[in-house]
Amino acid sequence: MTCDSVTRLIPLYFYGELMPEEEDRLAEHLHACAGCTREMERQRALAAALDRRQAEVPPMLIESCRADLWAAIQGGAPHFFQPAKGPWALFLEALAATLAGFHRYRTPVAAVALVAVGFFAARFSAGVPASSLSPAGEVFSTVRSVEPDSSGRVQIAFDETRRRVVSGPTGDRDIQRLLLAAAREDNPAVRVESVDLLKSRADSGEVRDALLNAVAHDSNAGVRLKALDGLKPLAADPQIRKTLAQVLLADDNPAVRMQVVDLLVSHRDDSMVGVLQNLVQKEDNNYVRLKCEKALKDMNASIGTF
Amino acid sequence: MSPQIDSLIRAAQRGDQDAFEQLVRAHDQSVLRLAMNLLRSPEDARDVYQEAFLRVYRNLHSFRFDCSFHTWLYRIVTNICLDQLRKRQVRKEESAVVETPGGPVDRMDVFEEEAAHANPERTVWNRELQRRIENALHDLTPRERMVFELRHYQGLRLRNIGEMLGTTEEAAKNCLFRATRKMRAVLGDCV
Repeated sequence: MTCDSVTRLIPLYFYGELMPEEEDRLAEHLHACAGCTREMERQRALAAALDRRQAEVPPMLIESCRADLWAAIQGGAPHFFQPAKGPWALFLEALAATLAGFHRYRTPVAAVALVAVGFFAARFSAGVPASSLSPAGEVFSTVRSVEPDSSGRVQIAFDETRRRVVSGPTGDRDIQRLLLAAAREDNPAVRVESVDLLKSRADSGEVRDALLNAVAHDSNAGVRLKALDGLKPLAADPQIRKTLAQVLLADDNPAVRMQVVDLLVSHRDDSMVGVLQNLVQKEDNNYVRLKCEKALKDMNASIGTF
Repeated sequence: MSPQIDSLIRAAQRGDQDAFEQLVRAHDQSVLRLAMNLLRSPEDARDVYQEAFLRVYRNLHSFRFDCSFHTWLYRIVTNICLDQLRKRQVRKEESAVVETPGGPVDRMDVFEEEAAHANPERTVWNRELQRRIENALHDLTPRERMVFELRHYQGLRLRNIGEMLGTTEEAAKNCLFRATRKMRAVLGDCV
């Protein structure tokens, strides 16, 4: 073994990553070579110096992370054990649900179904693009009415929504407009993603308003947490602080309250003393209460109101 | 993979929320420690934690037991951390100040405080050493930093690290060697 190859292998030797026979040869070389032994010492000294740099995890952080995670999951993160259903499956489910319980109409319904198949087939053969009727197609249908008549025909009224895909940078005005609309969608997973993308654009008035609206009114804690993230750079703004103070006293999610406290105390503001004192009195979550008490202490304010 | 973790995964895949919670609790401390050590900020570590476990939650159904759950989870976590490190590299703004629940604290001050009881000369020496260590870590590429972190602080084998980072054991070895060489070059006479 040459000194060059030993130098290269020293880190691997130190971390026990060599094969046993390589390790033996290297140990043998070190025994006979003062230069390489010094190299080995330097490796040990480096490791010892780096050991002292290991970051401590603040004791409350893990609990607060868990609280955030459960809040996001219970608030509607898309679930893993329910694979996303395609539009066709959703349509069939909706139809089945609509027709459930109509046992006495079993025969007419079967007729309706057959006629509906014929109807779709006719549209298919009349030149409608296959993709628009295929179960895998990007068309969502909602049946509004089914009206059989005495001649055996049926009239079905349904709305079609065609999916379009657009892409572009998040700074693009049209994309931003769509994201703002998506932030008000029914689906919480869509709202979480949209707010997450919007949060870096809080300098725009529209986005700021959408984030404030989400923090104050969104039913999903995950969305509210993302929106709070986006408001961080604006935490000094009086209007935002006013909304945050209201959220702090009204929000039922401890992870949200914790983040609001962080935002409010990130800027010295004595007008928050009353809000924090109020919260300390009614707060039932230990972590949030401790956080408030600490913030009050830092502001040289008393914990209780007298 | 331990049979207990295995059965927790299967239960969680069937939709058992308690099993998912136990699965998270069995792994989340090491994930948070990794994120804290790499990113030195509780806020960023919290983001990594949240994103990683939400991804696990959304994608657990696709876990096929063809690697250990730990490896699968760390693939997710290391990807998120690497993205963060890359963003920081672009911004070049990693600070020597660590955010703590008690407010921002300068790493050097903490170190100095610890050492102050020893002797002043040693304090100066330690301070210089820590400054150089920060510089040395700054000079590593995100991937070198990750390999070093996983090997030195997390004690993972290079073969596993390669698997987590989607590369070979040999590439992980080269990364570790480069990382060590760079750090020693920057630390100079300090070690």
